[in-house]
Amino acid sequence: MRQHRVTDTTTNSRRTVLTGFGVINPIGTGPDAFWQALLAGTPGVHTITQLNPQHLPSRMAGEVRNFSAKSLIEKSYRRTLNAMARTVEFGVIGCQFAMQDAGLTKGSVPSERIGVEFASVMGATELDDLGPASKHSIQKNGVEPDMAIWGREGLSQVPPLWMLKYLPNMPACHATILYDMKGPSNTQIPGDTAGGVAMGEAVRIIRRGAADVMLVGGSEAKIHPLSLSRFNLFASFSKRNDNPERAIRPFDRDRDGTAPGEGAAAFTLESLDHALARKAKIYAEVVSSASGVDRGLSGTGMARVIRNALAAAGIQPTDVDHVNVHGLGTVRGDAFEARAIAEVFGKSVPVYAPLAQFGNLGAASGLMEMACSVLALKHGLLPGTLNHTNPDPACPITVHTGAPRPVTKPYAVKMSYTELGQSSVVVIRRWSE
Amino acid sequence: MRRRVVITGMGVVTPLGCTVDDLFTSQIEGRTAVGPITRFDARTFPTTFASEVVGFDLGRFVRDADHYKHCGLNTHFALAAGKAAMEDAGLLDPAKGDRTRMGVYLGSGEGSDEFPALVRGLAHASPKEGNGPVDSGEFIRVMLEWMDGPREGEQEMYTPAGHLAETFALDGPNQACQTACAASSQAIGEALDMIRWGDADVMVAGGSHSMIHPLGVSGFNRLTALSQRNESPRTASRPFDLNRDGFVIGEGAGLIVLEELEHAKKRGANIYAELTGYGTTADAYRMTDPHPEGRGAIRAIAEAIADAGLKPTDIGYINAHGTSTQANDSTETAAIKSVFGEGAKKVPISSSKSMLGHLIAAAGVVELVISIVAMRKGVVPPTINYETPDPVCDLDYVPNVAREVRFRHVLSNSFGFGGQNIALVASLFQK
Repeated sequence: MRQHRVTDTTTNSRRTVLTGFGVINPIGTGPDAFWQALLAGTPGVHTITQLNPQHLPSRMAGEVRNFSAKSLIEKSYRRTLNAMARTVEFGVIGCQFAMQDAGLTKGSVPSERIGVEFASVMGATELDDLGPASKHSIQKNGVEPDMAIWGREGLSQVPPLWMLKYLPNMPACHATILYDMKGPSNTQIPGDTAGGVAMGEAVRIIRRGAADVMLVGGSEAKIHPLSLSRFNLFASFSKRNDNPERAIRPFDRDRDGTAPGEGAAAFTLESLDHALARKAKIYAEVVSSASGVDRGLSGTGMARVIRNALAAAGIQPTDVDHVNVHGLGTVRGDAFEARAIAEVFGKSVPVYAPLAQFGNLGAASGLMEMACSVLALKHGLLPGTLNHTNPDPACPITVHTGAPRPVTKPYAVKMSYTELGQSSVVVIRRWSE
Repeated sequence: MRRRVVITGMGVVTPLGCTVDDLFTSQIEGRTAVGPITRFDARTFPTTFASEVVGFDLGRFVRDADHYKHCGLNTHFALAAGKAAMEDAGLLDPAKGDRTRMGVYLGSGEGSDEFPALVRGLAHASPKEGNGPVDSGEFIRVMLEWMDGPREGEQEMYTPAGHLAETFALDGPNQACQTACAASSQAIGEALDMIRWGDADVMVAGGSHSMIHPLGVSGFNRLTALSQRNESPRTASRPFDLNRDGFVIGEGAGLIVLEELEHAKKRGANIYAELTGYGTTADAYRMTDPHPEGRGAIRAIAEAIADAGLKPTDIGYINAHGTSTQANDSTETAAIKSVFGEGAKKVPISSSKSMLGHLIAAAGVVELVISIVAMRKGVVPPTINYETPDPVCDLDYVPNVAREVRFRHVLSNSFGFGGQNIALVASLFQK
């Protein structure tokens, strides 16, 4: 008999709940503005404005407009902004939002009992950090760098803290310093599954007693000339440049690819005991998680991961209100997710693909998309998926579209995956006293 | 019920050899792999040397090396170490066992930018006069032409762990973390937890990293973290020596097969050691500097020993993080003294990095492998290049010559930029 880490609902110290909520999203920042935009179906994917996109094959993205880290960051920490790329800024401010929303400040939890799990990637270098050194070191032919000049003179034109601006573990590092968090600190990097596995690991850490509170977040900022050039070369991006708001069409017959987004999502996760003792407001319970690999994206492997998560939660497919997918709007990816869902749930479960509204946030995608279900369970309403009009026989599932529908069951399932089939599933439950 | 976890396979790719035997023999003989950088022309860099893996051929490890031709060294090293570990554990055959209960947890580095193309694009899109901003539109136009799509796709950070799963049919939990120099130890510690509580029966865990490329060395040089003893690379890595001046950048990979005890017994697996303790804390202090009193390190070490159900006096050898930076070595010494008290002076401590250099995300796992072999053979590797004692580093660092020591429990430390502190305890297996 396989052993699953079955949730022991009799022991509150082993149950984990979400108590703080921070989002920085193209369609809205903060739980209220974000929720209203989700309900209204506000489109967040537009033609890129942060840089000149004219040469990109795909010129659309979900951009966070008017974001000013300087005005948002804790004053005592403002001087450190010169060591933060945009993705790190999003991450740190997202963490601040979650902590504020949870009513937690530095010292309100004993420092050894609070830690961080962050979903992240290496940031792309800001062009101007390496521009002068590159210009100085290029050979006369304009093609190859002259390594002797780079080493002797170019290198000294690179900002001293250059590397620290981009390291994946910097959002977590800054968060630990800002809030004096001395419990475990880990940074997950497996692409779009990073948020799901970060949440899963945070749950494990609390269950094994290594912390009472974990800050769980993710951030990414790919609207960047180097990142977008790279992704346009290998990622499946939509070419519907004349209609950006309708570009991402999850599970639709006419889908032609996805678009990137940017931002951050962060939560505080607490043992139920701890949350009740301090009378924290509770958004939802994180019940279980599972991870695994579906080599070749057959769907069967992902279906197994979903079943493992349901088994660990001690529930049946019929207990699930909705499945929250990654729903990139790519031909291959959507069909893969649909096969997995169909195998476990048939066509009976409503499928919700919030990504169509704000793009793929990469390392932040798992937690951002999960945030939509957290709010749906809390408010008792599931918003509709944007841009799904013509069902595709290759995707034999029921996508929830149109007006919000009432939540009728207690559980939501969040799925994430990578191109190599790495899959992560998190099960959350509507909170009721 | 918390389950016991043993180590049943080990594989390494290191500057001192691509087998565990070669690596350990070099360590005992006190050989160093540090030499001039050959990967690119670094002759005018502040640091001109590194600890490189030379003569590496992926084709010796995997059947279809061409399938991975766009991947970076991170992935290549991980695949080679993974192959060795899986073979060693007798789990290479994908028909063996329930593969959905076997997973991957890799502490892996980032991919790298294609340096010549990046510099070319930036130079091209820079203003002709002065140091104004780079024209991003023009930069995009040329980079779309000058970069290689498949290569770029393989630089994404999820790929090394994904390729391990793909190649060795590991369909269970798949995670990857990057916590700088602590990453592979943290991966092993969290994988231990996953097996203990039933999320998997087997986890292939460890790390892989190479930063010996122009931007990696440039970045560390700008942070003044690397030794600049260019006149004598072979003596540059000198942990705990008074005249240490920074770490020596290395590269490589290590993967170990962690297995639930009953699972290992049932299939008659060879057991190298039991992984008994894990401690993980954050410094919450600064981006690069460790807390001067080692407050996070102290708790990580104490937690790992307690997690193993042991007392500090049970630890017979400490494989130190020992980077050869001023800050790390004094802090680590202070932390050991704080946890071990009077016993600190009695326990032999050595730094594998004195010979290997610093394998960054792969450092911890390779050092754990060395620790386990040392425990099984009853001989601990030295800290080489130890010449001048530092008054603040006043413990027994096994200077320059290996030593026979019998012990049952070993502590391996890993601390990373960003303040993550990891300690692992391994023990000789006892029924």
